[in-house]
Amino acid sequence: MNLRIIRANLVVKLTSFHRERTTMFFTMAFPIILILVFGTIFMSQDNVSYHLCVQDLDQTTSSAQSIKTLEHDGEFKITRVAPAVNATQYVRDNKVNLVLVIPKGYEGSLRQRTVFDNPNASATITYIYDPSSSSVVTKMQILDSVLAGINQEMSGMPPFIRSAQRSILTRQYRFVEFFVPGIIAMSVMTLSLFSTVDSDTELRQKGIIRKLSTTPITRTDWILSGILYQFILAVISTMAMLLVSRAVFHVSLHIDAWLPAFILLDVIAFVGTGMSLTRFVKEAQSAAAAANAISFPMMFLSGSFFPIELMPGFLQKFAKILPLYYVNEGLRASMVFADNLAALKDAAVIGAFAALVFILGIIATKWEEGA
Amino acid sequence: MTNQAEHVIEVEHLTKRYGELPAVNGISFTVSKGEVFAFLGPNGAGKTTTVEIIETIRTPTSGKVRLLGMDVTMSKHDIVPRIGVLPQGFSSFDRITVRETLQYYSRLFCRGKNDIDGLIDLVNLKDKTREQYKNLSGGLKQRLGIAIVLVNDPEVVFLDEPTTGLDPGARREVWDVLLGLKQKGKTVFFTTHYMEEAELLADAVAIISKGNIIAMGSPRELIESNAKYLLLTLQSSDERVFAIVRNMGFEPEHDNHKNIKVRVAQTDDVLKILNAIKDAGAPFLNLEVRKPNLEEVFLQLTGEALREDPKKMAAK
Repeated sequence: MNLRIIRANLVVKLTSFHRERTTMFFTMAFPIILILVFGTIFMSQDNVSYHLCVQDLDQTTSSAQSIKTLEHDGEFKITRVAPAVNATQYVRDNKVNLVLVIPKGYEGSLRQRTVFDNPNASATITYIYDPSSSSVVTKMQILDSVLAGINQEMSGMPPFIRSAQRSILTRQYRFVEFFVPGIIAMSVMTLSLFSTVDSDTELRQKGIIRKLSTTPITRTDWILSGILYQFILAVISTMAMLLVSRAVFHVSLHIDAWLPAFILLDVIAFVGTGMSLTRFVKEAQSAAAAANAISFPMMFLSGSFFPIELMPGFLQKFAKILPLYYVNEGLRASMVFADNLAALKDAAVIGAFAALVFILGIIATKWEEGA
Repeated sequence: MTNQAEHVIEVEHLTKRYGELPAVNGISFTVSKGEVFAFLGPNGAGKTTTVEIIETIRTPTSGKVRLLGMDVTMSKHDIVPRIGVLPQGFSSFDRITVRETLQYYSRLFCRGKNDIDGLIDLVNLKDKTREQYKNLSGGLKQRLGIAIVLVNDPEVVFLDEPTTGLDPGARREVWDVLLGLKQKGKTVFFTTHYMEEAELLADAVAIISKGNIIAMGSPRELIESNAKYLLLTLQSSDERVFAIVRNMGFEPEHDNHKNIKVRVAQTDDVLKILNAIKDAGAPFLNLEVRKPNLEEVFLQLTGEALREDPKKMAAK
């Protein structure tokens, strides 16, 4: 290993990057755009409210009061549908997924139950819904729980089972704060993998690798300078993401030595993977396709964008063999939970993987043309 | 030791196969110190395979190759700092300037206080030092490549087809640089399929065809020993001239410009042909009698042209 050679390589790589303005822009802009887009989506998830259409066929004080209760609960934004309208046709024509219909005689039944203590008096509220909509089931479940609450209150009996919430965290985190570490892990992976694959195939096709093989630079010098270069880019890109998420979404995360450690391990793991790929895929286009084949499942299945608990059981098991999963988990352990032991365990797994692919990368990097 | 001092490159029975396909078939040759050695052959003859084995880029299937007295398969790390290599189709980092490129390669050889300006002067790139590689013309790129080759002040310089793909003007620029290396006393090993390049620059030439060396020596020796005939060229629009020469027992041919070319053993034959044409009253415009050049020697030895006919290439 020769530090002067590594430095010379690093200078050339950074100078080329600096002068390649388009590449520089997209390298930095891509993760920031992701933060802005997904941050906006997940910010609204923290204050989610559903659109609900209500048709009041009773038109009484009691029915109006019930609608107000739904509205004040904060979960629904109410649109009133005129009593004369056909609710089924309304769902079809207006592309809404649910209309809640309060029946005629609602107030009468309510009075029978509350004033005359008639236990058989009841009112049936109808959900007219479009089953092709994915969110309608959630909407109906929330409505069911609201109606159950009203029924419980009307029974006059205190509930037997109550629930209490206690977070494992000392402060209240928003979903966007769990999301940012995942985006950092994913961006560093994408940057390291694609940049290595692109650069190595281009240099090989141009014959620069062949020329370098007739100089004193070794494969180890070459790979180490590549890792160092990617690490510098990854640190700059991570800083940009953290600054944007703080400035725009007021994201506040715990930053300590684990952050650069996980970035470095992420870089080593995917620079090594990229180098191993270019050994087998010679053409630039095929190499990019192969890199996509690796990065896409990793992006969506390793918990960068959404929790793996949402996935089917077999995919959850699969996620746990993906190296990016451990970078995600490790970064969340350190940046959200400030849990050093959990971060250490994840670092050990990704560290072992990084060491393995680094060695494979050195073996796979074909310096001489061979026999 | 004496032999090693004289011969900086020694190749003995070198064979290289790619699977069952033989690229080089047991070739042997030596290159002396300070010599400019041209390795001549058509595309696919085995030139690049041979030079890359000597440069330590490839490993041989069998045979011995010694460079500067060291086995190329065992001593790569000792050899590399002492040689300079310009690979075929050389390229460099697009966004890096001429000066930065030379500084980079200089640092790879750990030569901190290298005379970058001297190298820039040598290849006449003084006006282009701040130009990025991607903006250089083909000839300038090759000149930069040659400057890179010299950053470590190598004892042996390898240039694999340094002028392929360049226009005639750019080729001459590269030749000037190579002549400069020759004057500096560098040992230069270059491959080419341009015969005039070998004739102009080389002290010694090896002709390789289908993996075998078929002739070796100085350009003059090759011509003297292999071309024991004279070449008579006549330009005539009279169709009888061709028939007259053929009827005399010679084998005339038309060249690309419809000139009549005839191989004759001695000057008397030239006189006989001219007299016969004169007696028949057939006119001719131009007349040339000369010894064959290296290209014609190559054609005679191998039965194939060094380069493809441009018309055939265009047809492809």
